[in-house]
Amino acid sequence: MSAVADSPVVELRGVHKTYRLGTHVIPALQGVDLTVQRGELLALTGPSGSGKSTILNLSGLIDTPDSGDIVLGGQRVNDLTEEARTLLRRDALGFVFQSFNLVPVMTVAENVDYPLFIAGVDAAERKARVAAQLEAVGLQDHAHHRPDALSGGQRQRVAIARALVKRPRLVIADEPTASLDSHTADQVLDLMRERCHAEGAAFVIATHDSRLTGRCDRVVALLDGRLQ
Amino acid sequence: MNAKWLKFAIANTMRNRRRSLVTVTIAALGTAAILLAGGFALFTYESLAEAQARESGHLVIGKPEQFVKDEETPLQYGLDDVAKLRAQLLTDPQVRSVLPRVDFSGLVSNGDKSVVMIGLGVEPDSEFSVKGPFLTITEGEVLGNGGSGAKGPEIMLGDALARNLKAKPGSSLTLLASTTEGSLNAMDVTVKAVFSTGVPEIDKRLIYTDIATSQKLLNTQKVSSLGVFLSRMEHTDGAQARLAAATPKLTVRTWQDQAVFYRAVKDLYNRIFGALGLIIGIIVVFVVTNAMSMAIIERTREIGTLRAMGTLPRQLLRTLSLEGMVLGGVGAIVGMLVALAVSIFLYTANIQMPPPPGRSVGYPLYVNIDAALYIGTALVMVALTMLASAFVARKTVHMPVVDALAHT
Repeated sequence: MSAVADSPVVELRGVHKTYRLGTHVIPALQGVDLTVQRGELLALTGPSGSGKSTILNLSGLIDTPDSGDIVLGGQRVNDLTEEARTLLRRDALGFVFQSFNLVPVMTVAENVDYPLFIAGVDAAERKARVAAQLEAVGLQDHAHHRPDALSGGQRQRVAIARALVKRPRLVIADEPTASLDSHTADQVLDLMRERCHAEGAAFVIATHDSRLTGRCDRVVALLDGRLQ
Repeated sequence: MNAKWLKFAIANTMRNRRRSLVTVTIAALGTAAILLAGGFALFTYESLAEAQARESGHLVIGKPEQFVKDEETPLQYGLDDVAKLRAQLLTDPQVRSVLPRVDFSGLVSNGDKSVVMIGLGVEPDSEFSVKGPFLTITEGEVLGNGGSGAKGPEIMLGDALARNLKAKPGSSLTLLASTTEGSLNAMDVTVKAVFSTGVPEIDKRLIYTDIATSQKLLNTQKVSSLGVFLSRMEHTDGAQARLAAATPKLTVRTWQDQAVFYRAVKDLYNRIFGALGLIIGIIVVFVVTNAMSMAIIERTREIGTLRAMGTLPRQLLRTLSLEGMVLGGVGAIVGMLVALAVSIFLYTANIQMPPPPGRSVGYPLYVNIDAALYIGTALVMVALTMLASAFVARKTVHMPVVDALAHT
């Protein structure tokens, strides 16, 4: 097994992050250490402003820490250029958003295909992988539908398929069930668990949903930017 | 470029159809306005160029002094032995005809009244067959090569001059002019026809007669210059070089060298229509910029999502520029079709423009359909809309992903 495969998917080491709102300095994270292992379904909980989204943003390489290290697959990523971070996101990370964030002018299949397309995967392989993902999330019959023709649960399944289609090491999910009713939220969570274990990708999920945390592999609680 | 980006761009332009329709309409109107104004300018240039080339010949050959010095006596710098020179010039394969011309001035009198006149001695048969209907004969018949009818030498008079002298076909007049030796000569002539050039100031002074009559009046065998008519206008520069090499002691000028009015109109129109094109371009850029700004602001979060998934800013810039290209391209195509339809309509409708200043007759309103103008305008329109889109998109595609995702 390679060193990368043995390494934790992502590590936060002594991470600090503050935001400035005018003259106010808001400490979002205060010395957070967190390690996420391959295939782990990790829930981040805590009240609003506790730092959940900041950990997601830092782990997802869409934000940078003020101090401390972010290590992705054994590689310290703090000093990467913006382009290198973008390419790392493209190749190693998946995102699931609370509001699904599907592209409305693309069909379901095109939305799922998009990460492979920008990664330059050839058309035949893309087609096969998109079909497999849609089948895995139970939306093979909706491939040519537009997102606005789907229910909220179906849209989130498309988002999960889109996040997983490129076989990422880590999926960042920000309140993925917050816009769904409880029954649909259960289905989506089951799907995420199933896909997490099937694909071997780690999931880091920020959530307020206590039912969801009970079904994750590990739960990390945050308060005022510190792990509890 | 992958067709998928283009498909994505086209789909994005369809999101807000009304806004895209307005943008396409402005681009189409701008394109049509540029093409119609440019086509009208080209028609004007072409008409003036043809008129000038028909009036003087595509090339004018004379002694160098003829073009730069004032003569002290008539035909001081005229050409001798033009028959040999004409024969030499006619050996050039692109020379269609060589017409001699005698310029003179003097007085024309009806016995009661004398009026200053400008005379042109030409070979009438050749002149009219080569130049076509360049004069409007209002009374009488065109001169013949013989130059003399039953009543002796004949002339054609400008209509204003004819009115001034109360002359009509068949009237007898007397021409008075200085000979090449400086003495005064008079010749009785008969009016064969009355014409109009369409320029009242010229019609007040101009008379036409044949070469022999003008030479007899001036007591010379010389001519002022030779007008060379080519098979095609485009051969002018090449023929000038060849004929200049073949006649080293003479000056060969092109019709453009003689065309002061043509150059003045072209300079004026280039500035007017250039400014018009610039204004239209600015309007189109503003409209596209505004439309794309709204579209991009509305899609900031989506752009953040695409960036989070690993789309490079340059890839997003490309697809957003393609959206501009689609809007500008469709607008350009519609504009070209509108301009084409209007131009064809004008060719069939025969709408007359009022006479321009200094002229007594109007001219047909035609708009040239020029492939280079159409292609060039379409390319500029597409380039402008692409650049405008890229300009407004560049800030958003480079904004921090976190900020873009948080945009509401």
